[in-house]
Amino acid sequence: MSRSAVELDFFRMEKESAGKPQPPKKLFDRRRSFRDIQSVISKMNPEILKSVIATGSVENGNLLASKPKNDDPFLSPALPLLSAPAFGNRVSGTSPLTIFYEGTVSVFDVSRNKAENILKLAAENVSKTVDSDLPLTRGKSLERFLQKRKER
Amino acid sequence: MEEDRKVSKTTSDGNGMPDLVFQRVIDYIHDARDRDAVSLVCRRWCEIDAGARKHVTIALCYTTTPRMLLRRFPNLESLKLKAKPRAAMFNLIPEDWGGYVTAWVEEIARSFRGLKALHFRRMIVRDSDLELLAQARGLELQSLKLDKCSGFSTDGLLHIGRSCKNLRTLFLEESSIIEKDGKWLHELALNNNVLETLNFYMTDLVQARFQDLELIARNCRSLVSVKISDCELMDLVGFFRAATALQEFGGGSFDEQPETYSSLSFPPKLCCLGLTYMGQNQMPIIFPFASLLKRLDLLYALLDTDDHCLLIQRCPNLEVLEISLSHGLKYKSGILVQQTRNVIGNRGLEVLARCCKRLRRLRIERGADEQGMEDERGLVSHSGLMALALGCLELQYLAVYVSDITNSSLEYFGRYSKNLCDFRLVLLEQREGVSDLPLDDGVRALLQGCNKLRRFALYLRPGGLTDVGLGYIGKYSPNVKWMLLGSLGESDAGILEFSKGCPSLQKLEIRCCCFSEQALAISVLQLRSLRYLWVQGYRASKTPDLLAMARPFWNIELIPERQVVVADPHGAAVSVEDPAHILAYYSLAGPRTDFPDTVVPFEAAAFLNA
Repeated sequence: MSRSAVELDFFRMEKESAGKPQPPKKLFDRRRSFRDIQSVISKMNPEILKSVIATGSVENGNLLASKPKNDDPFLSPALPLLSAPAFGNRVSGTSPLTIFYEGTVSVFDVSRNKAENILKLAAENVSKTVDSDLPLTRGKSLERFLQKRKER
Repeated sequence: MEEDRKVSKTTSDGNGMPDLVFQRVIDYIHDARDRDAVSLVCRRWCEIDAGARKHVTIALCYTTTPRMLLRRFPNLESLKLKAKPRAAMFNLIPEDWGGYVTAWVEEIARSFRGLKALHFRRMIVRDSDLELLAQARGLELQSLKLDKCSGFSTDGLLHIGRSCKNLRTLFLEESSIIEKDGKWLHELALNNNVLETLNFYMTDLVQARFQDLELIARNCRSLVSVKISDCELMDLVGFFRAATALQEFGGGSFDEQPETYSSLSFPPKLCCLGLTYMGQNQMPIIFPFASLLKRLDLLYALLDTDDHCLLIQRCPNLEVLEISLSHGLKYKSGILVQQTRNVIGNRGLEVLARCCKRLRRLRIERGADEQGMEDERGLVSHSGLMALALGCLELQYLAVYVSDITNSSLEYFGRYSKNLCDFRLVLLEQREGVSDLPLDDGVRALLQGCNKLRRFALYLRPGGLTDVGLGYIGKYSPNVKWMLLGSLGESDAGILEFSKGCPSLQKLEIRCCCFSEQALAISVLQLRSLRYLWVQGYRASKTPDLLAMARPFWNIELIPERQVVVADPHGAAVSVEDPAHILAYYSLAGPRTDFPDTVVPFEAAAFLNA
């Protein structure tokens, strides 16, 4: 591989750590990350792509759409695929955070704050029941009526 | 005659039948599927049909373009366009998803000179669109329906009110309209005397003046259907007196003391009614003409089980009933002060089955859920459904939320409800230990028995229907065109078996199931009539397995997982995760060019060229 190490900022961490304080849960912006993921994958070395796909397991995340149930939201997106050492590309004020999970290793450059938030989140019980995953929603007009009725 | 000889020489269908004859005949063929078939016979018949086609419904506006529509059907008189997925009616789709009418209105203004009727459903409309429409087609327009639309204000309606003097129908039901004032209704009242249907039901337009309604009633002698937003009923005394031809009324509000309403009298031909906030004390005002009622909307009334029974007993001619499993909750300044059972319940269904033999359409909606409200008496379950199937043999449409269900109640529908075309059943989440799951056999019996079924929705829970049951749905629904599968099946095998059948299925919605992307993709390829798919809640994969269904003219879009703000049961704003959606559909227009941030095209090319 002749390319130099690449920092892949799918989760806009540079923007976030530089900018306004974010609520702990909103660690990444998936909407833009989808387009980014697509464009980066098309530029990646196919051999690396193949080997990582071969070793990864189903629970270890997805590329495009919603994660499987019971998956830790933080670890699910294509972290194993796209982690690359950030040698020489380190943004000032950040240090590498290395995560070992189910046979894969991921490295991120994060600020201290971010690292604390991540650890806090990982410590939380993020298990979801089937019901709360996709609750039945009520029709809009009925919902509005029930609200209005309370106000009468 | 010379002309006869000329005509017989110019036939081009090879059978000796002159075009002229066929042009006359085709006017008698109305069904869209028949016209479709006719247009496929030969080029000449296609041209004749195209020139003579009066109405077109485009189920998803992104499947074609205004130009293509013009080329195909230049002489259209009536157009219906739909855009946002049906899930938008349940707050599941981003508001800015798309479905802008602008390009269509521009083409209509430019080219569709014969257009008299326009129906936009779940689309985004701007004031400027309404202004253009009024300017270009104002005098020709006879019917305008902005159905569950958004993006416009009463200023846009002002243009319609001023310019559309020949409007017979103005329909705005459930649209989100920015209200500046009530002038639009005043303009309509001043400029129109042919109005037959006026509907701004379930909009939040409160500045519409009742005086203008009265003026419309006086000027428009053919006024037959009026449904409005909240408006004190006692202010409408003059309106009801003037609207002598009125058959349908909906909306209003009861803010005065109950005794006041005893003096309220309704128009003599009134047979379709829905009074908002109607309670037990006001209900008697409709007793005098209850036996005339054909349609009753109690979705927004405040009645309990006993009231429902009392009322329904007096309506032997009822054909359409809409009712809510609404718990009787009385609030004062936002604090719950009283709880009564405001439900139709099994008992209500038994009364319905006994008294309303003409019932064609029944919708039982889900009401408020408060903790600890599960009560045997109040909820709908198998005994009520069985009574309904036995008693109401004319039933064509049934949509119901149930708390419990058995195979035998579904079997009853299969055995007795031979007129059923549209069946939708949702099993509520609250109760554990439902009597009789899985429902495989009941579902099979229902599908086998109800052979007129065209629309089918089943929303259960894990364990509610096995993979075998899903296979039954595929095997026994030969004529069903639309389906919603909610929390059904156990594994990919289920959807794969399902998709071997359903030969007529055009539109499929799947929610909260466990199917993988690959299984979904393969199923799409197997369902031979499928032209539209919506999925929320599925097993995503690391690899782009959806690629398996990539093909020409098949647009695939994703709404990735996002955070949405919803109201929790106490009304507080809560941020929840909304799982990703897949939307896929056939289109002759290529991928959309107006994606909002929340929607992402699935670009197969990006993966294939990696």
